Amino acid sequence: MKRAPARAAMLGLVAGLLLLVWSFPVLWGLITSLKTERDVLAYPPVVVFSPTLANYRDVLFGATTILPNLVSSLIVAVSTTAVTMLLAIPAAYALARLDLPAKRATGFYVLATQMLPPVGLVIPYFLMLRGLGWLDTYHGMVLLYITAALPFAIWLMVSYFEEIPREMEEAALLDRAGRLRALWHVILPQARGGIAVTVVFVFLNAWNEFLFAVVLAGNRVRPVTVAMFNFISVEQTQWARLAAAAIVAMAPVIILGLLAQKHIVKGLTVGAVKGGGRR
Amino acid sequence: MSGAGRIRLIGVGKRHGSVVALKDVDLDIASGEFFALLGPSGSGKTTTLRILAGLESADEGRVLLDERDITDAEPGARDVAMVFQSYALYPHMSVRENIAFPLRMVSTPADEIERAVLQAAEKVHIGHLLERRPGQLSGGQQQRCALARAIVRKPRLFLLDEPLSNLDAKLRLETRVELKKLHRSLDVTTVYVTHDQEEAMTIADRLAVFMEGRIEQVGTPEEVFAQPKSLDVAAFLGSPPMNFLPAKLAGRVARAAGQSIELARDYGAEREAVLGIRPGAIRLEASGIPAQVYLVEQLGESAIVDLHVGETLVRARVDRRIRVREGETVNLAFGADDIHVFDAASRQRL
Repeated sequence: MKRAPARAAMLGLVAGLLLLVWSFPVLWGLITSLKTERDVLAYPPVVVFSPTLANYRDVLFGATTILPNLVSSLIVAVSTTAVTMLLAIPAAYALARLDLPAKRATGFYVLATQMLPPVGLVIPYFLMLRGLGWLDTYHGMVLLYITAALPFAIWLMVSYFEEIPREMEEAALLDRAGRLRALWHVILPQARGGIAVTVVFVFLNAWNEFLFAVVLAGNRVRPVTVAMFNFISVEQTQWARLAAAAIVAMAPVIILGLLAQKHIVKGLTVGAVKGGGRR
Repeated sequence: MSGAGRIRLIGVGKRHGSVVALKDVDLDIASGEFFALLGPSGSGKTTTLRILAGLESADEGRVLLDERDITDAEPGARDVAMVFQSYALYPHMSVRENIAFPLRMVSTPADEIERAVLQAAEKVHIGHLLERRPGQLSGGQQQRCALARAIVRKPRLFLLDEPLSNLDAKLRLETRVELKKLHRSLDVTTVYVTHDQEEAMTIADRLAVFMEGRIEQVGTPEEVFAQPKSLDVAAFLGSPPMNFLPAKLAGRVARAAGQSIELARDYGAEREAVLGIRPGAIRLEASGIPAQVYLVEQLGESAIVDLHVGETLVRARVDRRIRVREGETVNLAFGADDIHVFDAASRQRL
C-alpha cells in the first residue's frame, strides 16, 4: 500500500507524456492558426506573439472561404454514414444471429478488403465512375465511400450484437413484439454503444478522405480536405490559413465524438441475465 | 380450473444436427395444472419447453393448445408467457418498463397498463422497486421482476425454465412455496422445467421424467416415486438414490448378495433381475440380513449409513436416535412391499 501514491504519480506522468505527444500536432496547429504568416515562418520559432483571428476570418468568410466545402463534406459524410448504418445494422444483426457456414471466412474477407491499399483502387474506380458518368458527383462519392465503409461497419457491429444474449429477443418474441420490434425496442438500445462507435468511425473516414476525393471529384463536389490542399501551392504554402482550416474542419468530428461518447458506456448489459447457458 | 390452457404434444420429435434431442414425445397437460418436466441435463426437457414456447420448431409431431394446432405458430401468437433461466430482463428499461413491455406491444391503453403493472408487481412484492434498472436488483428481485413480466397479462400458458436455479438455497425454498401460491391464485396452466427432483416432487401436481430425449414416466410425484417404471427413473428420483442389488428371481424368492429375500408376489420362472430398495425403507433390527457399517453421515434429523452386504454397498437412512458405529455389524430388514423389482435386461419394472 505504501507504494500506491508513487505508482499513481508514475501512471499520471506516463499518461501526461502520452497525452502531450498525441495532442502536440493539434496544439501546434491551433497555435499556428493564431499566428500571422510572418510569425509562422519566423526562425527560430516565436513563442511570444500577438494572436490574430485573421486566418479564421479568411478561411470562413474571405476569398478562400471553405464554408461551401464544409457543406460538401457534410453532405458526403452524412449520406455515407446514414446509408451505411441503414444497411449495416440489419446485416450485422443477421450475421450475429444466423448460423452461417462460412461466417469466419466472411469475417476474414471483410478485413481483407480493408488491407487493400486505396491507391490501387483509384484507377479502377475512376474507370467505373466515368463509365457511369458519376465522376465528380455526390452519389458517386457516397457510393464509393459506402463500399469501403459497409464491410468494416458490419464487421465492427457483429461483435456487439453477438454479445447480446439470445434470450433477449426470445423474451421479446414471447412478449409479442415480433422480429422487427424486438430489434427496435430490445436489441438496438443494447447495441447503441457499438452503433455510436461505428457511426463515429464511418463518419470520420468519409470526412477525412482525401485521395478518392481529389482524383474522382474536386470541382462540383469539393470536400474540405481537397479545398485545404489549395493552401499549398508551388509558390507558397499558406501555413497559418491551412492550420485554421484544419482546426475548423476538425470541429464537426469532435462534436460528433462528444455526442457519441455518452452512448459508449460499457457494462450496460450487466444484470440483464444471470447465470450461464441453458439446456 | 379455468377451462383453458390444455396442452397436448403428439409424437413430437426434434433433432439438433445429428443429435436426437426429442423422440416421439406424447404429453397431455390438463388446464390449470402445475406440471414439471424433470430430467438430467440433455434429456430434452428444455427443448420440450422451447417447442411449447415456439422458440424451437418440432421436426415431427404436433402441438395443440386448447385443441388449436400451434405447431407452427409464432411465439407471440401463442398466448404463452415464459420466465427464462437467465431471467432475460431488458437491461435498458426500468422494472416498470420491463413489466409493461408485453402490454405495450399489443397497444394496451396507458391507464390499463399502469394498473396491470402495479398489480403484477405487488403480487411478487416488488412494488417498491419499479423505477430501478435490472442491474440494480438482487438476484431474487430480478427473478421476481421476470415473474411479474410474465404474469402481467393473463396468458393461457405459463412456462418456467429452471427459474430457481440461480437463487441461493434458502431463497430457493422460499420462492418455491411462493411459486406454488402464485400458481394457485392465477390458475394458469404452468409448465416447469427442472433437473432438481426434490423441487419437482414438492411443487408439481404431475410430472414427466425425461431420459435421453424420451419421456420415461408421467404421473403424480407420489406415483412416480412409489412406482418407478424403470431402473433409470428409480435411480433419478430420491436422495440418497435407491439401492440396487443384482438378483436371481424364482417364484416369490430372490437371491441377492448371498441372501434369500422374500418378495411380495410370485414372479414366475427363474430370471435375472435387479432389486431396488429406497434407503428410507431399510430398518436396522435385531435380526435380518447381516451387514457391516462402513460410514455414517449425520444429517441432523436422520443419518445416512453406508453398509456392506457381502460385496455390495447399501445405503440406509436411519433415525438419528439409532446409534451405529463404523465397523460394527448390524442386521437389515425391509418389507416385501418396499422392494422394487426390475428386469435386468429391459430395465423395466416387473
